[in-house]
Amino acid sequence: MAANVRVRRPATPPPGLPHVVPSSHKYPPTRQDHLSADERREAASKGYGPGRRSHSPGGLNITSGEWKLLAVVLLIAVGVRMFRISKPDSVVFDEVHFGKFAARYIKTRYFVDVHPPLAKLLITAAAFVSGFNGDFEFKEIGKVFENAPYVAMRMVPATFGVATVPIAYLTLRALDCRATTALLASIFLTFENGLVTQSRHILLDSPLVFFTALTVFFFVGFSNEDKKEPFTEQWWTWLTLTGLSLGAVVSCKWVGLFTIATVGVCTMLQLWLLLGDLRVSPRMWARHFFARAVCLILIPILFYMTMFQLHFLILGSSGEGDAFMSSEFRQTLGRGMEDTYADVALGSDITIRHLNTQGGYLHSHSHNYPGGSGQQQITLYPHRDDNNLWRVLNATVDSYEQYDYEHKPIVYIDHGSRIKLRHLVTDRALHSHEVRPPVSDVDFQNEVSAYGMPGFIGDINDDWIVEIEKGDRNDKESSKRLRTLRTHFKLRHLNTGCYLFSHKVKLPEWGFDQQEVTCNKNAVKANSLWYVETATKHPQLPADAPKVNYKIPGFLSKFWELQQVMWTTNAGLTDRHMYDSLPSTWPRLRRGINFWVKDHRQIYLIGNPFIWWLSTASVVTYMIVRGFLLLRAKRGYRDFDNTKVVKYDSLCGFLFVGYCMHYFPFFLMGRQLFLHHYFPALYFAILLSCAVFDLATSTLRPKIRLQIAAVLMMIAVVTYSKFSPLAYGNPWTKKKCTNARWVKTWDFACNEFFDEYSQYSGVSVPTLNRSTPMATIGGEPGGRAAIVVEDKLGQDGVVPPENEQGTAVPIGVPEPGRDVFAKDQQKEIKSQMRVLKDVPVVDVDKEISVVTFEPTSAAPEEQKGEVKLQAGDVGATGESEDQTRPEVIDILEKEIEGEDVDNYGKPHGPLDHEEAIADQVAHELYPEARDAE
Amino acid sequence: MASPSRPRQRIKVTPASTVVNYEQDDDDHVHATYQSPNSRSAFEQVLDTPRASAAMVGVLTAIAFALRFYKINQPDQVVFDEVHFGKFASFYITREYYFDVHPPFAKLLFGFAGWFVGFDGHFTFENIGDSYTDNHVPYVGMRALPAILGSLTIPVVYAIMKETGYSTIIAAFSACIILFDNAHIAQSRLILLDATLIFFMSLTIYSYVRFRKLRYWEFTVEWWSWLIATGFFMACTWGAKVNGILTVATIGIAVLVDLWDILDHKKGFTMEHFWKHFMARAVGLIVVPFIIYLSFFYVHFAVLTRSGTGDTFMSPAFQETLIGNELLMNSQELRYFDVVTMKHKDTKVYLHSHPDRYPLQYDDGRISSQGQQVTGYGYDDVNNHWQIIPTKALPETGRGRVVRHEDVIQLLHVNTQTLLLTHDVASPLMPTNQEFTTWPKDDHSRHNDTLFYLNIIDAESDDPWKSKSSHFRLVHGPTRVSMWTHSKQLPEWAFKQQEINGNKNPTEKSATWFVDQVISTESPEGLSGEQVPKEPKKIGFFRKFAELQLLMLQHNAGLTSSHPYASGPINWPFLISGISFWTENDTQKQIYLIGNIVGWWTCVIALSIYVGIMGADLLARRRGIEPIPDAARGRLWNSAGFFLLIWAVHYLPFFIMNRQLFIHHYLPSHLASALLAGSVLSFILSDTVNYPISIVGRWTKLRKSEYADLGMKGPVVVGVFTFILFLMFLYMSPLTYGTPGLDGETVNAKRLLSSWTLHFAAKEIAEVS
Repeated sequence: MAANVRVRRPATPPPGLPHVVPSSHKYPPTRQDHLSADERREAASKGYGPGRRSHSPGGLNITSGEWKLLAVVLLIAVGVRMFRISKPDSVVFDEVHFGKFAARYIKTRYFVDVHPPLAKLLITAAAFVSGFNGDFEFKEIGKVFENAPYVAMRMVPATFGVATVPIAYLTLRALDCRATTALLASIFLTFENGLVTQSRHILLDSPLVFFTALTVFFFVGFSNEDKKEPFTEQWWTWLTLTGLSLGAVVSCKWVGLFTIATVGVCTMLQLWLLLGDLRVSPRMWARHFFARAVCLILIPILFYMTMFQLHFLILGSSGEGDAFMSSEFRQTLGRGMEDTYADVALGSDITIRHLNTQGGYLHSHSHNYPGGSGQQQITLYPHRDDNNLWRVLNATVDSYEQYDYEHKPIVYIDHGSRIKLRHLVTDRALHSHEVRPPVSDVDFQNEVSAYGMPGFIGDINDDWIVEIEKGDRNDKESSKRLRTLRTHFKLRHLNTGCYLFSHKVKLPEWGFDQQEVTCNKNAVKANSLWYVETATKHPQLPADAPKVNYKIPGFLSKFWELQQVMWTTNAGLTDRHMYDSLPSTWPRLRRGINFWVKDHRQIYLIGNPFIWWLSTASVVTYMIVRGFLLLRAKRGYRDFDNTKVVKYDSLCGFLFVGYCMHYFPFFLMGRQLFLHHYFPALYFAILLSCAVFDLATSTLRPKIRLQIAAVLMMIAVVTYSKFSPLAYGNPWTKKKCTNARWVKTWDFACNEFFDEYSQYSGVSVPTLNRSTPMATIGGEPGGRAAIVVEDKLGQDGVVPPENEQGTAVPIGVPEPGRDVFAKDQQKEIKSQMRVLKDVPVVDVDKEISVVTFEPTSAAPEEQKGEVKLQAGDVGATGESEDQTRPEVIDILEKEIEGEDVDNYGKPHGPLDHEEAIADQVAHELYPEARDAE
Repeated sequence: MASPSRPRQRIKVTPASTVVNYEQDDDDHVHATYQSPNSRSAFEQVLDTPRASAAMVGVLTAIAFALRFYKINQPDQVVFDEVHFGKFASFYITREYYFDVHPPFAKLLFGFAGWFVGFDGHFTFENIGDSYTDNHVPYVGMRALPAILGSLTIPVVYAIMKETGYSTIIAAFSACIILFDNAHIAQSRLILLDATLIFFMSLTIYSYVRFRKLRYWEFTVEWWSWLIATGFFMACTWGAKVNGILTVATIGIAVLVDLWDILDHKKGFTMEHFWKHFMARAVGLIVVPFIIYLSFFYVHFAVLTRSGTGDTFMSPAFQETLIGNELLMNSQELRYFDVVTMKHKDTKVYLHSHPDRYPLQYDDGRISSQGQQVTGYGYDDVNNHWQIIPTKALPETGRGRVVRHEDVIQLLHVNTQTLLLTHDVASPLMPTNQEFTTWPKDDHSRHNDTLFYLNIIDAESDDPWKSKSSHFRLVHGPTRVSMWTHSKQLPEWAFKQQEINGNKNPTEKSATWFVDQVISTESPEGLSGEQVPKEPKKIGFFRKFAELQLLMLQHNAGLTSSHPYASGPINWPFLISGISFWTENDTQKQIYLIGNIVGWWTCVIALSIYVGIMGADLLARRRGIEPIPDAARGRLWNSAGFFLLIWAVHYLPFFIMNRQLFIHHYLPSHLASALLAGSVLSFILSDTVNYPISIVGRWTKLRKSEYADLGMKGPVVVGVFTFILFLMFLYMSPLTYGTPGLDGETVNAKRLLSSWTLHFAAKEIAEVS
């Protein structure tokens, strides 16, 4: 046995081993030479051997002197993290998003983000307490704060950053490392430029790293307790704390799932070892299992859901996030829909919504397809609009008899009803035929168009069969006949058998980027389901006819829906960003992120190269040494009989598993990735490097060990100070900057800095990019966001910036990571312009049209007397109606012209109107800008 | 590591030369009855005789040929991917260069088959449904090749099971799952690569099993030959289709496990012995396959010497090795003051400019320089003409006037007499990129901004700039942006032409341009037009190979567009959807690739049973209970585990692939799952196995052998199962063979899962209300 090793501290059993009966061994250990080699190995691996004298909570044996030391370290950390935290006084990097979200919380306007709410809620709390009213918009990087308590908001991540330092110290102590080692780790974390930079701004990574560290600490404490005696009060406390902390990690960012995976793997290992311990009865094992399942699975889930409950409670009114949510969800956000009539019958005017996508309503407008049949477009349009209105008409095989819905008894729409849908505004029918659609040009898709003309009742290609898919459980009628909101149905085209279909494919510019609608012969069921959203009152219905509205979804369904939206969007974040990077470049610290450049200062996220590379080196060293040990073991060397090897093997192994779990999954992700995604892994790597230090110096005297540690700390601090201007946005000189460019790929902008420090002193900090809003339109509470017209010409944009000297590759402008949810907002293009004076397009060469019809043969001048327009008069097969048709057209045209006067050039719809006014204001203010166009 | 306190001692192990144990611990679980060959049931003994086995394999093979050749001339039309692979075969015959993501071995075989049966290569397989008979294509001969290979897969599968130690009836069971599988049959009756892939994959498995069985006869001639055979077939698998790399990975993992065992000191081998094993495998499984794989490409390049459809994928240097290539014919050196047109390599637009100017302010409020527009234009036009202006003194005549790599040049737009320029103003569509515009040539105030470096890709210094064949980047002198374009169009004010802007990455890959046409030149050769065909140039095989291999990788990753019949890997084992290969409207015939649902679901069930058994066994052992006899357990772990490995390695990687995936990618895994199903069935029927099965070595301590005894229940179960399997096969066969035509009702009946998108399904005639 390792008898002549100087054992400073009794070796403890590794974390993750089964609990051991508290041993009565004394220090120095009793000799075990009477055991055979195998028995000794077994004893060592079970954690026997030198026992500890007493057990303190979580295995933490910290002397009072250490607490004082820790207090000093904490003070240093506060100094480093909070030094001039109020600088810069303008928006930095992703503060654009997270600051904005805080403003949204305070305004209680609904938004959607890819990250869970905890960290954002904490920031909001700080902002709210300091009196932020949510008016500052955090529009772009470099915008100067006005009326925003940004210091308080930045204090939140900074506090978490500071708190990470003592946690790291305690974790290493709980892992039975020496105080020197723990001190080294806390100093390393304090002076890690990347972590400092990240925690000084309103960003989510600092809370994330903190909670990761906290989880690890609690879990280590739990493992220590577990080794001593399970199911004590202490044991339960540590376990519950681990669970709560896990919930907090995953509520900051989804990356927290990796922490859950780490704890999960270690717990499984614990359980596996317990299972192999035949002294543990199956009953006892089950207890172990369920205790962990409850605390490490159930508690985090509950915590996570509670956060979302808070999120929903706060965000009560509608905002820019509405568009991503389902209609039911939006009903909970203030501006809901009014109750609508429940019954749909022949003659009802209805709006039809697509169920599976958020594309919106079945829509048509008087613009034609540029290709295909050239008939009028059918699209999905997300906003409420008159062009979404359709009238349900009767269609029968023999005579196309129109149903006199005003006088005859009401006829509901059943499963199998054959109907036509008439677009009210343009008076054309929903139509499909064997023509390939313009975008999804494949042979199982047919084009859907609006076809016909006023008075022309249409042909058989306008006929659709209603197939009721499912009704609502609480409304029995709804599965038998069509009921507003409650019935999901498919529309089958009578002639071609295809189903009315839509999917997430946008039409090009000619279709105003609206969603494509086709008739699909191989339709996926989910994408061919529709429902009626509103139905106007049918003349035959009594005044007190039943009305319906969306069901208010419960918390669980809201929660689940939001998770899905977050997931799909997160997966869709695949655009390139100027400062994104590949996971393989992170451990090398190949490149940083440009956070902010202004006034000849820069904030650039880059790690402390010394600490960073040291940590990477220790990970690599661990892998090599462990691999070597593995091979040696296979060849029969008995390294693992040594308790020291066993102790460090399990210690480093635990940290290494944490590192791998927080790093390698990124390789599988297709999304945009940044350097700061490496920080949780970096935390583990730094701890690992300290553990390696602990091992390497384990045979040295404490004094020498302390001296070595001091040298390492000195180097770390010096390197830190070399790069600190980039972290704080302090003055720097070109020369120093160029000298600091140790690696060619570090692209901070040295040319931004002055040549001399003295040049900074004279310059008062101007606020160059400040743009004063000239006018604000809209933005009433509960409505859409205000539109701010800005003085764009006030900037010196016309003059191209002076040429930079030298031929260095110019660095990019700092830009925030993308906020996908902000993107779709500009896309609301209206399609209200009417082109009604066109001669109705008649599809002449269509094969299947049963009714041929020549509108040009009609003479419109005759018989102007009849005004009454009854659909029944005009319908039917087109043999006897030649006389009546012309004036129908004529009169309809007149009517529409009358309407035109009101509508032309004045699109309605909530946002469009405001935008139009904003445009007008802008043009009035800057006539020359308009002329230039 | 810290220095150990005391040098640790190696444990003394008995030298290797004496005894090698089969298993570490004795097996007491097996009932004595099974340990004597004589006490097996008579039926089992008869079945296991070599003669019975040979008869069985003969019958199975005969049926396999019958099923795969039945009406192989039907349909006489191009089906599904025959469009591609048939075409490639014809290219081998006409020797025109083509490009494909798959390695050439299987296609070479098709080319050979086509040549053998007298195909002249002039049919181009343009569309699905083109008639072979009308075009006199000997397609039956070409289809015979995969049919033969597909049929031969059956005896190989049988042999794998037999060699792994299963009884005749179990081996027949596994073979039948493949034999009566509609998907395997449909796939191997057409000119497609998968039959070749699967055949060689099964041969690889077979050879590896044979190799493993000889592990006590290491370094004998037999041992070496099976090792090399494994490597050889592995290379053929990989050479047939790019998915074959998964087979290589499978064998790689198996070998690593094997080596890890040899390394174990308890086996008592020396390190020299280990290295010897290691080197032998490196030679047999790395060096040999690589040489074979290279040789496929060697033949590929040797055959394809003429210019063809694949030219444009390759680098100019490569293209110039092909007879009749356009670059070879038309490439010429450019001289200063030549007028040229330039095209973007990826989007094929010309560098274009016209007198219209950029608008002062864009829609998003940013502001332009209002300079003359520079755009990308798709059509030939005089506004595409640019003159190359020198920035240094030139000699009057001679070679000094040739433009060379890294020269600084200006480009003069001939029609407006303005010079190309870029500056630090954001481009119309991308705020991060620089705007391109032009500047009057007499105004020297912006001289520096009109200077561009000519960076010819892969060029040495002083290489001349050539039209067509020199791909170049134009890098701006002062700001180091490279001229770039992308497929987004500018708005109306630029007539919807493509945006040209400066990409801040000076080595951006997609910023590649080439000179398309020389409009006027002072070169002594004049405008090269009708010149004598030049000799193709030569470049080394390895350079060609490296280039092609890289391209194949890139394009394979790029196959991400959606296809109506593409499906996700999770659907495959359950046969959720198939692929419609071919339809004929008049006769309502169709070929729909779908497996035999009985066989596939059996395999899935077997897989889950296996995982369940092994999981339960692990847990039980952890608690000190040993429910399975050691011999059977060893078989389950080692041989069935190997089959599971094959299945997993051929299946799971598809989950992380982003490319277009089809159900036929699962066929190799399906074969592995059929093998596994055999093992599981054997285990369910009886605890007994044939043991040991490895060839006994000279020093092997003999253990008591054991024989499998399934009794009568084996043949009965397998017989009934095969019968059901066959019925299902018959039922689905019209979809597999594409004949006879089916009416709507029958199609509906054959649509066993609602997710199958069969054609000609009858529609329910709607009631009219």
